[in-house]
Amino acid sequence: MSIEVWLEWLRGPVFWAALAFLILGLGRHVAITVWAIVRTYRRAGDKTLPLRQVFMTTLKWLFPLDKLGNRFLYGLSTLAFHISVILVPIFLAGHIALWQRGLGISWPAIPNRVATTLTIIAIVSALAIVIQRIVFKESRLLSRFQDFVMPLVVALPFASGLLVMHPTWSLVPYDVALLVHVASANLVMFLIPLTKLSHMVLLPGTQVISELAWHFPPHAGEQVGVALGKANEPV
Amino acid sequence: MSTQTRDKYSYYIEQKTLDVTDRPRKFLEAFAAVLEHSNYGVALETYSRLSAKCGRCAVSCQVYETTQEERDIPCHRSELLMRVYRRYFTPSGLFKSRLFGGFRLTDEYLDEMAEDFYRCTACRRCKATCPIGIDHGLVTHLGRWLLAEIDVIPKALVVATREQLEGVGNTSAIPVPALKDTCEFLEEEFEDIYGVDDIKYPFDVEGAEYVFFPAVSDYLLEADTLMGNAAVMHVTDGSWTIGTGNYDGINYGLFYSDRMMERIVQNVIAEVRRLKAKKVLVGECGHATRSAWFIPTFGGPDAPEVVNCMQHTHALLKAGKIPLKAEKIKERVTYHDPCNIARSGRITEEPREILKAICADYVEMTPNRTENYCCGGGGGTVSIDEIREFRTKQMGKIKADQIRATGAEIVVSPCANCKKQLKEVCEDNDLEDVRVCGLHDLLLEVIDFGVPKPGEAEEVPEPAAVGQAR
Repeated sequence: MSIEVWLEWLRGPVFWAALAFLILGLGRHVAITVWAIVRTYRRAGDKTLPLRQVFMTTLKWLFPLDKLGNRFLYGLSTLAFHISVILVPIFLAGHIALWQRGLGISWPAIPNRVATTLTIIAIVSALAIVIQRIVFKESRLLSRFQDFVMPLVVALPFASGLLVMHPTWSLVPYDVALLVHVASANLVMFLIPLTKLSHMVLLPGTQVISELAWHFPPHAGEQVGVALGKANEPV
Repeated sequence: MSTQTRDKYSYYIEQKTLDVTDRPRKFLEAFAAVLEHSNYGVALETYSRLSAKCGRCAVSCQVYETTQEERDIPCHRSELLMRVYRRYFTPSGLFKSRLFGGFRLTDEYLDEMAEDFYRCTACRRCKATCPIGIDHGLVTHLGRWLLAEIDVIPKALVVATREQLEGVGNTSAIPVPALKDTCEFLEEEFEDIYGVDDIKYPFDVEGAEYVFFPAVSDYLLEADTLMGNAAVMHVTDGSWTIGTGNYDGINYGLFYSDRMMERIVQNVIAEVRRLKAKKVLVGECGHATRSAWFIPTFGGPDAPEVVNCMQHTHALLKAGKIPLKAEKIKERVTYHDPCNIARSGRITEEPREILKAICADYVEMTPNRTENYCCGGGGGTVSIDEIREFRTKQMGKIKADQIRATGAEIVVSPCANCKKQLKEVCEDNDLEDVRVCGLHDLLLEVIDFGVPKPGEAEEVPEPAAVGQAR
């Protein structure tokens, strides 16, 4: 099969499947989590929540500009990485043109020069994150295989995308770069709902979840005691 | 104590801990019951899915900072429990284990958890540095409860709780006559030291505004704190009482079992209702206050209000109702925030404002307030005497360094647990000259009772209102 056929398949049915999987998977996560939050709140004996505090903490971690102090370089790398990987796929003029062609929708784009800069930042910061994971003892000790690999997997569509945007910089033919770009982007979309990348939709809920977990149901302990046949057991 | 029990873990355990068989199955049964009836499920599900393993929590943990052992990284410890959760309580974990086998919960793994969850002070400092928002203190709290259901509990904690729930009725096993004797003695002290002969510790006064719940150990160890509490009530004509049905604010359930915690809190509520009182006045104790903050959880819509004695004193001081001597405390004083009241930001300013009003040389240790370092004895570990060296020289090392840096002669900490730990930290870290005391201890020294001290001249300086005293 020629590369064009592969490309058509990847940017056609596979892309739509990946996008559907991404949206449905994340939607499922959100629905389940929201339902769990509501259920947890309903069961809580004390329904007073420090909502302002929770909201502010959530906001601070969604825009963690003042959270870099503890391991500054690592914080900076992750911040730069996140800004780039959020902005470029959504606001690249080339991507918007595809949406316009496919679904007839569009929105303002960022200049290509900015997109290129952000893409380079995404690649460099992904490498920086992996290197720091290896260098910092604590991160290295904690990390699973996926923690080392995931930033690189996410960086792959950016690296290949850079070559697609700037064919003259490339050592590989344009259509090979495009093939890798589309394939790796699809892969990332499939991976998001299955891995910790799902934090892209769940993160706004984590602070309220941490708070809610301390709001116990009024008879949880007693019920656990009954369930375990320990209700009348001495201490 | 037989050496056998100490050989198993760093802390003493009871014989019955060693008699439990089939522990992994029982642990998982307890886990299933807790997930069904409690509110931990949503947190575990989210944490286990999102945990980024970045290690930023390590930098904020005073235990890890000192030991540099992997097992003391908060995220590593939480993963111990989350691995069990993922494997046994999520569809993908069950599916993967069918296909590939892999992790199984074993006795050895439970022993690792038993050790590691009691190396954490549950101070929750790491939560503020977790980008995902994982509350590792919550995971430690839950992990300890699940371990308790297979009888893995430090002996110090379970013995005290047994005494409270099934014995004399309080963790220090102080019977009512002894309690009354102690209070009478304190009343006499007021007369002997301060020349005040009408200060009373009121017992079983029905309809009082406040029922007083200090850490009961204060009646044995912290006379000055209790005298400070009584002095505030005396000079402000406060309506308070000590209930002879329950006079212990301590709740070790917070440290090892929600089942016990629930029972202990309910006993506090029952005593307030028996006395037809309105509010719970918690003494100087961090975990007792945090436990009492669970009263709305277990007390229903008409649960009594909870007030920490520092909030109470602060409001009265601001209102100018506590007469102070013109002369302030001269020594350099610093303040240690007890994690259980400061981490959430609920009580940080009141004690500072009181101290600034009564001390001539008040200094902060840094970091402080919501970012404070634990005394090193949090999470009930302070009661475990057999780990003292680890507690004071490793868990408490950073706190010792902080105290030293302030150059303070007095460290104020309004918490029975923090005070015990800080005294031992000072003893074990060449800070023997530092005095560790409660906040009301110092306040007591500067309250103007309006009568001359025995042996002092009749003429006393003009009482200064708060504004002037500052």
